[in-house]
Amino acid sequence: MITDRNGKAIEHVCNFNYLTEMMGGKKHLIKGIMDAFLVQIPDELKSINDALGKVNFASVKNFAHTMKSSVSVMGVSILTPVLKEMESMALAATDIEKLYELNQELTLICHLAIEEVEKEKEKYV
Amino acid sequence: MNKKTKIKIFLVDDNKVFTLALKADIEVAFKDMCVVNIQSFETGEACMKKFQEEKPQIVILDYHLNSNNPAAADGIKVLEMIKRASPDTNVIILTSEDSVEIALKSFHHRASDYVVKSETKFKKINYSLFNLIKITEAEGEARAYKNVNLILLAFLALMIGAAIAIMIIKPSFFK
Repeated sequence: MITDRNGKAIEHVCNFNYLTEMMGGKKHLIKGIMDAFLVQIPDELKSINDALGKVNFASVKNFAHTMKSSVSVMGVSILTPVLKEMESMALAATDIEKLYELNQELTLICHLAIEEVEKEKEKYV
Repeated sequence: MNKKTKIKIFLVDDNKVFTLALKADIEVAFKDMCVVNIQSFETGEACMKKFQEEKPQIVILDYHLNSNNPAAADGIKVLEMIKRASPDTNVIILTSEDSVEIALKSFHHRASDYVVKSETKFKKINYSLFNLIKITEAEGEARAYKNVNLILLAFLALMIGAAIAIMIIKPSFFK
């Protein structure tokens, strides 16, 4: 189990209520979005890792920015402050060590989100 | 809103998950109100290639479009291109930042609305779309009314012209 920034334990990182409500419970739409999420998130994580490896702050900022929209669809609100911090630190182009640390947190939570989405998707097959 | 109204919408955003979710949300939200045809594009350049052919009434355009393609034009540049090609097309600018500067830039370049990608973004976009569709419908009705009036006026002018011509050519006709 992980904790949020206030130290509160979190059982699930995703909240699918918003997605299911928004799609009016339409299974094929929900499944389609989940499939896209499962493809896109590993790609985005890889892009951020590559950008950090090259100390390319501009790319880190762009990918952190894009990820905010992707994770919000699955209700991963715990990642919003992490991505916002990564974006502003990358914009300031300082403290690469802190960015590595935030990236570790991002990767861990994303992997948990992927597991939860994979499990949730079984309901829509 | 008229159920028969057909609205063509272009959605320009480089985030596939977000685009899919927004497209599906709009289709679900407007399914009982009108016929919505949505096409999505990853870049403004791809959108402009189809723009002249399809002539959408509404474009939902993200401000940041260069995550996957660093050379891609940003939302304001694409907005300029759209307005040059079709001044009547309504454009809703989307952005993750609640920035006065971007909002002012958007309205300066004649965006119809500006929506921040906050937690309530989908509701805000639907609300904005609802208003724009109503405006588009009203404009269509006003155009149709104007055309009917023009036809009636032309018919009346033709009748008066014919009467005058008859009076000149054959004055005895009206006696």
